[in-house]
Amino acid sequence: MQQEASVRGEGRGKETMEFRQSSALRQLWETNLEVFQRDKMALFGLCIFAVFAIVAVFAPQIAPNDPLTPLKNNEGDWIKDAMPYWLAEPGEDEEEGYTNNFLLGTTNIGRDIYSQLIHGSRSALLVGFSAAAAVAVIGTVVGLLAGYYGGLVDAILMRAADVAFGIPFIPFIIVVSAFLDPSIWNVVVAMAALLWRDTGRVIRSQVLVIKEQAFVSAARVSGASDLRIIFVYIAPSILPLTFLYGSFAIAWAILTEASVSFLGFSDPETISWGFMLQDAFNSLALSREAFYWIVPPGLCIMLTVMAGFFIGRGYEEVLFPRLRRM
Amino acid sequence: MTILSIRDLKVNYATQDGTVQAVDGVDLDLEEGQRLGLIGESGCGKTTLLKAIVQVLPRNGHIVSGEIKFKGMDLLKLPPAEMRQLRWREIATIPQASMDSLNPVQRVGSQLMKLLRVRGGYNKKAARKRAVDLFDLVGLDTERLMHYPHEFSGGMKQRAVIAMALALEPSLLIADEPVTALDVIVQHQILSVLRELERELNLTVMLITHDISVVAQVCDSVSVMYAGRIVEEARSEPFFASPAHPYSLGLQQAFPNLARPRDVLVSIEGYPPDLREPPSGCRFAERCPFAREDCHEVDPQLENVGAGRRAACLRSGEMDALRTRAEDPTLWQNVEVAQGYMPPSPGPFPHEEGRGGSVESSPTTIPPPSFWGRGSRGGGNVENDDILLEMNDVSKRFKIGGGLAGLLRGDTEQTVYAVNNISFSLRRGESLGLAGESGCGKSTTGKLLVKLIDASDGQIVFDGDDLSGVDDRELLGFRSRVQLMFQNPFEALNPRFTLYRSLTEPLIIHGWKDENERTQRVVETLDRVNLRPAEVFLDKYPHQLSGGQLQRVVLARALVLHPDFLVADEPVSMLDVSVRAGILNTTRRLARELGLATVYISHDLSLLQYTCDRIAIMYLGEIVEIGPSSEVINNPQHPYTQALIAAVPVPDPTIENPPLRIREGVPRPTEKFAGCPFAQRCPEAMQACLTIRPPVIVDERGHQAQCHLYGEHRDSPRLIQASPS
Repeated sequence: MQQEASVRGEGRGKETMEFRQSSALRQLWETNLEVFQRDKMALFGLCIFAVFAIVAVFAPQIAPNDPLTPLKNNEGDWIKDAMPYWLAEPGEDEEEGYTNNFLLGTTNIGRDIYSQLIHGSRSALLVGFSAAAAVAVIGTVVGLLAGYYGGLVDAILMRAADVAFGIPFIPFIIVVSAFLDPSIWNVVVAMAALLWRDTGRVIRSQVLVIKEQAFVSAARVSGASDLRIIFVYIAPSILPLTFLYGSFAIAWAILTEASVSFLGFSDPETISWGFMLQDAFNSLALSREAFYWIVPPGLCIMLTVMAGFFIGRGYEEVLFPRLRRM
Repeated sequence: MTILSIRDLKVNYATQDGTVQAVDGVDLDLEEGQRLGLIGESGCGKTTLLKAIVQVLPRNGHIVSGEIKFKGMDLLKLPPAEMRQLRWREIATIPQASMDSLNPVQRVGSQLMKLLRVRGGYNKKAARKRAVDLFDLVGLDTERLMHYPHEFSGGMKQRAVIAMALALEPSLLIADEPVTALDVIVQHQILSVLRELERELNLTVMLITHDISVVAQVCDSVSVMYAGRIVEEARSEPFFASPAHPYSLGLQQAFPNLARPRDVLVSIEGYPPDLREPPSGCRFAERCPFAREDCHEVDPQLENVGAGRRAACLRSGEMDALRTRAEDPTLWQNVEVAQGYMPPSPGPFPHEEGRGGSVESSPTTIPPPSFWGRGSRGGGNVENDDILLEMNDVSKRFKIGGGLAGLLRGDTEQTVYAVNNISFSLRRGESLGLAGESGCGKSTTGKLLVKLIDASDGQIVFDGDDLSGVDDRELLGFRSRVQLMFQNPFEALNPRFTLYRSLTEPLIIHGWKDENERTQRVVETLDRVNLRPAEVFLDKYPHQLSGGQLQRVVLARALVLHPDFLVADEPVSMLDVSVRAGILNTTRRLARELGLATVYISHDLSLLQYTCDRIAIMYLGEIVEIGPSSEVINNPQHPYTQALIAAVPVPDPTIENPPLRIREGVPRPTEKFAGCPFAQRCPEAMQACLTIRPPVIVDERGHQAQCHLYGEHRDSPRLIQASPS
């Protein structure tokens, strides 16, 4: 009992005496877990992502029709501008020679809006997560190298970041899209090329703080190599920050993809929510008060972006009163 | 007349983990003109008491019960507006780290005058006059009124803060750790200012500090606080001559004393009780070497123990006998055992047999080191085969203000000469202390020694190899033999690693493949540094340990590879007094057991005298004096060494520190001196000092000083120095 008292802190002390080696990974996992346990908003955001992820994976099974093929009635004509079945006047479909089971109606060239919405989640999540991953990885590596080595490396990387800060984002993507074949990957490429700047800067500043701490000097005195110090000592401390910027980047990417699609620079063969909005805009859906065409993709964009920010906010909550944890 | 009277004061803090009873039933009386020192280790409620008196407790703290009477007014019943009037005008406080509370964008003088006009009702002219008077009073040049805080040195800021506190002629001044972060010379001067002010203004002062020597120098009475209670109250003289509570006894013996060096310092093992659930008996019983059965059950009250002293101890009647017994440091070490530690395991590390020899762990029996510098040319080098490390004319320069940004701003690049041509050597098993004010280059020297930075010039030879030309493999070999111990134990360990991981890292880096062997070595080393049983600690994270335990872990990490050489940079300055001695004793014992050469870097000469065979005094990057510890301390040659030693406060109220003859403030070493670097501040400076490099004077015991006073230019005409402010 005296021995127990001689050790400050409880909890882990009462566990058995066996010890584990890979504590860094476990701690990282615990930090991530803590984010979602503490912050219900972040948990809500995670749920939104989970639902969209399931929808995206099983899109072909969930969607009743192909999103790109125009639907035809008995006479072989396109089923243009059909209202959702819960809005349409009963019997109208039979007159036109088809069965109205369209949850959200059809477009002006007879495509099923509901199926488009389902398939849209695929490109949204694809763009969102790959752009976020690219931004987070590039930014983290740049930040680690610039912060740790300093000097010339720092000067080159940070001036490059200054250049990236100077380039306006949407026009840049439009130019990139114009040069490359239209594809949703353009957005990912453009984001990876520009948005690492914020992540890199923030992580660099954090690295500057951490590398001055005595435990880093201690590692160096013990003979640890630069790479070991960067990846074993410093990186684990800044990874939560990477996640924070990653989750914000998801939201940004989805929003950007929607903007670019809406401006008409996307691949017409790929359905995305921004593409749907543009389609609706071009076919004067607004003047026909076809809210069932406009509101659902808008709502989906809003929900995914919100989810990204909720999660980011959760990380901030845990990260920045961080002195408490240290 | 009683100015302040506190009765049964209880202050609680509401925290997530329960209610902390930070101050629990304190009675205190302060007479007019009394100078009370309130001492105790951190977390004992000293600062909470101060905050309760002026009612600036944080939001989660509240006064549960009790009474605080100031000049007959009950402060706890006073409306907030009246309390606000009282603060500063009647009760002035100098809070902790208050030097940093000056507004950086306002001139110090205008801050002072604003205070005088807003709170004191002075008109513009009178405020200016009063400000000038105040600056005079605290010994600041009145031209300084027009300066901004960044143009002030630390000591000057502290003087300005004292001037502000005294601006409205308060009846009571409460100072919380007023000299803690200051260099010894500045500290000495601030203490002199406080002492003079006390005499001139007949101030009533309450001084909160952990440093009993500060109390001895400034206060006429002492209250010792422990775990939210006052455990002893006495006048200074009887307190320092014969403390009446075991805790005071321990505190006093934990302090190294330059005038009366001890063979071994006492460490009060353990730490204060958890104040969420304070023990029902005596709160010190857990750590007390004299605790009896009933001490754990009966809560002792403050009682008169004669000679105007009051102490809260059941055994206060036998205090005279206990005091004699307390002289024996092993008595306090037995507390380690009593607290569930296993007895220290004797003998050296298994594979060190024959190197360190089986030295008994009790430090009293350690034979005196037989090797002291045997005078040679070249700044403290010792001619012997047993030399482990040699510094030959080593220099380190830093460039500042350069680069692209500096170029654009038009700044010229400046060179800081952090270390200049220092030479010394260190033998196996020897310990050397580096001392000096901050900015003298001692930490840079430490970094050079462990090759955290590379020397600009000169040669560092470790065990026969010149360090400048080593390749990666040789460097790794060097790294396994040289280790560093850090000042701040809370930063020295990776917060994301368990202690096992932290300790095993050096072994992994140096190619220990077998995990069982690694674990065995880690456990063995933890055991060595008295973290027992080691298995309990393996799975802990740094934030779960106290500062003293952490520093032991840091020591263990340094020793886990069984190095030959250890550099300890201010190893205990961040720790509480009660545990400092424990760390020092353990380090010293292990260094002797393992035949480890050690360099201690510290601003605290009494600490170095306690731990080191030799001491080197540094000033502006140069070693001005080096020699056997007792020689340097008792027979200092260089005027700078003399000043440093004179400035160390003595924990004895009957001895007043002599006035200092040098001014505070180390200049920035951005130029190379043709003569002696200390000439600008030296009270003995001569004309030769400005132009000619002083010679190195060595005596037969290896004690050397670099000063013209003892060389051929000793008759050079004296310079007239401005008298120190």
